[in-house]
Amino acid sequence: MRALALIPFLLLPVSAASQDRTPILTDVSEAHILPRFSTLAEATEALTTTARTDCDPASADLRAAYGTAFDNWISVSHLRFGPTETEDRAFALAFWPDTKGFTPKALSQLIAEEDAAVTNAEAFSHISVAGRGFFALERMIYDPAFAEQGTAAYRCALIQAIASDIDANADAIANDWQSYALTLIQPGAKSPYRSADEAMQELFKSLSTGLQFTADTRLGRPLGTFDRPRPKRAEARRSERSLRHVELSLIALRDLAARLSADHPDIADDLDLSFGIAITDAQSIDDPALAGIASPQGRFRVEALQQSINDIRMIAASELGPTLGINAGFNSLDGD
Amino acid sequence: MTSRRHFLAGLAATTLSPIRGWASVGAPDFLAAGLFPDGSYRLAGLDALGTIRFSLPLPARGHAAAAHPFKAQAVAFARRPGTFAMVIDCATGSELAVLQAPAGRHFYGHGTFSADGERFYATENDYEAGEGRISVWDANSFVRLGEFSSGGIGPHDMRLMPDGQTLVIANGGIETHPDSGRTKLNLPTMRPNLTYVDLSGTPLEQMELPGALRKNSIRHLAVRGDGLVAFAMQWQGPQIDHPPLLGLHRRGKKPRLLTAPEADQATLQAYAGSVAFAADGRAVAITCPRGNALHRFDVTSGAFEAGFALDDVCGLGTSADGLVFTTGTGVFGTLIGAQPAVSARPDCQWDNHLVPIHRHL
Repeated sequence: MRALALIPFLLLPVSAASQDRTPILTDVSEAHILPRFSTLAEATEALTTTARTDCDPASADLRAAYGTAFDNWISVSHLRFGPTETEDRAFALAFWPDTKGFTPKALSQLIAEEDAAVTNAEAFSHISVAGRGFFALERMIYDPAFAEQGTAAYRCALIQAIASDIDANADAIANDWQSYALTLIQPGAKSPYRSADEAMQELFKSLSTGLQFTADTRLGRPLGTFDRPRPKRAEARRSERSLRHVELSLIALRDLAARLSADHPDIADDLDLSFGIAITDAQSIDDPALAGIASPQGRFRVEALQQSINDIRMIAASELGPTLGINAGFNSLDGD
Repeated sequence: MTSRRHFLAGLAATTLSPIRGWASVGAPDFLAAGLFPDGSYRLAGLDALGTIRFSLPLPARGHAAAAHPFKAQAVAFARRPGTFAMVIDCATGSELAVLQAPAGRHFYGHGTFSADGERFYATENDYEAGEGRISVWDANSFVRLGEFSSGGIGPHDMRLMPDGQTLVIANGGIETHPDSGRTKLNLPTMRPNLTYVDLSGTPLEQMELPGALRKNSIRHLAVRGDGLVAFAMQWQGPQIDHPPLLGLHRRGKKPRLLTAPEADQATLQAYAGSVAFAADGRAVAITCPRGNALHRFDVTSGAFEAGFALDDVCGLGTSADGLVFTTGTGVFGTLIGAQPAVSARPDCQWDNHLVPIHRHL
């Protein structure tokens, strides 16, 4: 027995005047999401091909292919819903932050045991997400601590296995997106989204959590506190990609924000201006691994960049959110 | 063992000044934090119809509070990751003490007194280690006496079991660090659990959900008089999943998971905010602020009884004849029988939780 009681004076607020969301949903899917995942899959293909012919960690070709593939992942790393979350694919591609050092432990264990999973893609796909993906590969290519562990032959096989697993994951995500995009563009009973508003809210959430992750985690974790900066917590610092990730994520999020605000030119202008400031801030810092935050001057510039990103978050939440029927509830937004 | 009645009589005889009990502040039934129309964050005492019996200013947005079992005293927590909690004399509004989390720790926003009112326990994050701790405080002097493991990561709500000797802790499983705000740091490896410990922290029992629900963060608790524990969850897995958000657990038994039919469950955004048993203990309910709904279930059969559309509903409590709820839009309502009713609508936004006051004096 069930009764759905609707009480007039408790009725839900009428969401933003109903409007046709299809053009924006189509545009974001076809111009923002699908091409990016497709490019990622091409770059990971190039990575695994390169690793197969040249697995020397010092190889310029391997490092370049790694860098290009990782760039492409960072440029989609805000799109954390649907295909990326199936079977923990996104975590298997990028297990970070690794607060308890699981990645080096997982790799050391594989090497010490000469685990045969490296010769079998299916078996490798079942090892811990911490031992897979771009951060595991970074350790193998850039961390001197892993340059001498085990035999050269096993390290080579491990590098090739990680690269191949990255490629398989990127392919699976790109493939799934081909059909998932339809459910995003055409919400309803057969879609995870019951309405176009819900689909828009998913995209808005990608924007807001992407900004939050870059400000609070990519920058916040290494910033630590003034008394205790934590430069060694910077993302991908061994390959000196930390600041680059901030910049790449902002560029990708700027594109998403522009498409989501296409119906509201004033808001689009505000967002674009604020992204411009933050990206300029990021580009003016000459500190790729964010090592300089240990000094007061270096810290100041990174804090200013973090503030610029928080300014974008404020504009997104206060201007863009309400146009998308985001429930601005006191509790629903707060959590816990 | 000294009975509570004895203990209270003894206390009354030896104390020079009278104890200000909850009756002295208008005999409220619940505590709730909220944002008031003048822009201030306050802690309020509410009766079962939502009438504000008292309200006191807080320095910032609150989360949950804990009510002393007989003195008109409350411990009010800031939103996580707050590093302090205020002990408030609800009769005068004065601050009796401030609980300060030590370096490297923050509170999670929930705590509970011992049955005799002599001890206070709070959930904490040891954020460098990424481990949950329970701190123990003297509830007279509010000196920190010690701490023990919560049995997991990210302990959130914690309740005293009816035996007065056992704490049940909801270890949400999610690791956070204040440097990175509320960013969840360990989703791929999270393992929430329900942990029972005695008052010295000795682990007694631990309940984990089946592997497929490993990303269902156990956050909030309600305990029935016979020791049945209800737990509300917040899903961290793919949004296309609509897992159960309410579970029931009895020590020594397997958990039972309760869910609405898919069409209703799918509207909840996989997020429950609070949980409570109804007065007769036969029904149990969760509030879902993201899905704007209150779901009620039959405890014995586990069947979904009804869903009610309520905007931004979150606070939930047991009243003498059913359930009461609060919303972020200011509503205080009652749910007795088949229909919810608004009983008060003060012009303020109620925060997440309604905390019951068990009046003894």
